[in-house]
Amino acid sequence: MTAPLLEISGIEAGYGNGPSILEDAGLTVENEKIHCIIGPNGAGKSTLLKSICGMLKIRKGEVVFKGKRLNGMRPDQIIALGIAFVPQERALFPKMTVRENLRMGGYRMRDKNELERRVGEVMERFPILGEREKQHAGNLSGGQQQTLAMARTLISKPEIVMLDEPSLGLAPKIVSEMFSIVKMMAEGGITVLLVEQNARIGLQYADRGAVLDLGRTIFEGPAAEILEDPRIKRLYLGGGKAERKPL
Amino acid sequence: MTDILQVLILGIALGGVYALMGSGLSLVFGVMRIVNLAHPILIIGGAYVAYWAFRLWGADPLATLPLAALILSATGILLYKLVFEKDAKSAKYSEMTVLLTFSVAMIAEGALGSAFTNTQRVTSPDYATDAIFIGDLFIPTGQVYAGAVSLAIIAALALFLKFSRFGYAIRATTQNREAAELMGVNVNFVGVVSFAIGVGLAGAAGSLISFVFSFFPGKHWEWIAVLMSLVVLGGMGSVLGTVVAAFALSVIAAFVGAWIGSTWSTMTFFLALFVILLVRPQGLFGERPELA
Ligand SMILES: Nc1ncnc2c1ncn2[C@@H]1O[C@H](COP(=O)(O)OP(=O)(O)O)[C@@H](O)[C@H]1O
Ligand SMILES: [Mg+2]
Repeated sequence: MTAPLLEISGIEAGYGNGPSILEDAGLTVENEKIHCIIGPNGAGKSTLLKSICGMLKIRKGEVVFKGKRLNGMRPDQIIALGIAFVPQERALFPKMTVRENLRMGGYRMRDKNELERRVGEVMERFPILGEREKQHAGNLSGGQQQTLAMARTLISKPEIVMLDEPSLGLAPKIVSEMFSIVKMMAEGGITVLLVEQNARIGLQYADRGAVLDLGRTIFEGPAAEILEDPRIKRLYLGGGKAERKPL
Repeated sequence: MTDILQVLILGIALGGVYALMGSGLSLVFGVMRIVNLAHPILIIGGAYVAYWAFRLWGADPLATLPLAALILSATGILLYKLVFEKDAKSAKYSEMTVLLTFSVAMIAEGALGSAFTNTQRVTSPDYATDAIFIGDLFIPTGQVYAGAVSLAIIAALALFLKFSRFGYAIRATTQNREAAELMGVNVNFVGVVSFAIGVGLAGAAGSLISFVFSFFPGKHWEWIAVLMSLVVLGGMGSVLGTVVAAFALSVIAAFVGAWIGSTWSTMTFFLALFVILLVRPQGLFGERPELA
């Protein structure tokens, strides 16, 4: 087996001078696979993704991407290494047009012609974005905004794309569209690290999964195994709405 | 009819100057969430550059405008490094910067006052006392020049923001700082450069007002309320909004001045600020109701 693409080991992190939200979070992300992190609300899933890309300070442990230690680097430096992140809020520029948002996806690129070519390519692949290229991102529907945010990551041809709850607030039909984009990314050779509240669906698309609770990684393994594990099933995948029960 | 046209033209010419004064303030607020109360005293700093260049070398304030912009930009960078950089990460940042810029304004006023006294100054290139007559219309050349140069600078700024790579970074940081970082923008660097541009624009505006208004260090108090009204009406941080607000308020103030009395002309801005804050705190173009 080759070395993992991204290795997070025993990290502790929190916001500002506040308490540690992550206590002992770890994760091994392998090349060209879809990974899904599940866990109850407030477990620290979003916090983990933010720590990976330098948006908050890691107090202990380390994040290593392709042999390079990311601790202490700024987000713009980490992004430049080939990591893209679509946070829960989608991180669009509401008063920029769809085309301008896509251009921002290639902000680090120096070759303007190549950038325009890739923007054109993405708009062809996602016709809904092409049709709306002159509209402000703030005026798009939720599904279109998520599509734009995900499509925008493709511009810079990253090695790993991290998606925080891409299905949040979307109708079921749109959710499956989002997952088909995830699949398409993986088929194109991109490693996807996904956080999903909708644990069952997320794991069905994933190769590997991890369970995070109270800031700790409590299980990591093949997604199919997580789906079958009776204890995880009972605690984290329970049927219907009343999902959350204390440990 | 001529009267109305006359007042309108003056209002528009001054509106251009106000727009330039406000756009730097707006840019800095948009990118860094700094309400820079020292912006007006920095404008007066620019006016002093023009004044001394004129007095010592007889230099045209329009010719020394780039020099004033450059000197003030450098001052801006220094100010940023000394005053703002440390606090950029603090949670109370916005509140802090109001107090910080306020004290910077006071210190700068004191320093300029002791260096150059509080005598009213003005530069007087030939065109400052000229006028163009079209029929019955009387148009002071100085104000037309100042308005036209302001508009040219604002147009250049707008093109820069809209089309250059760095302009994209500035707009992105203004709209969503975190997202800009995730696109690979070094937002701290964008902050310093925007601050330098904003204060440079203050320097440029200072050169222009040096022959349109008389000035002395204490004058900046009057400008603070005027500029705040522009920036708030324009929607805090929207450069375009500030420009539109500047023209609107300037034209209204010109008519108030002509029909009611010149003391009421400045009051227009203060009253507008008050009314906007009560009625539509997000301004003309803003969407967020929060002010800082
Ligand atoms: N910006 C923030 N500042 C302070 N605390 C935060 C912030 N964002 C999240 N938290 C806290 O961190 C904990 C984990 O949140 P989060 O990572 O968003 O959980 P999840 O994504 O698993 O639902 C929660 O207790 C939340 O209150
Ligand atoms: Mg979350």
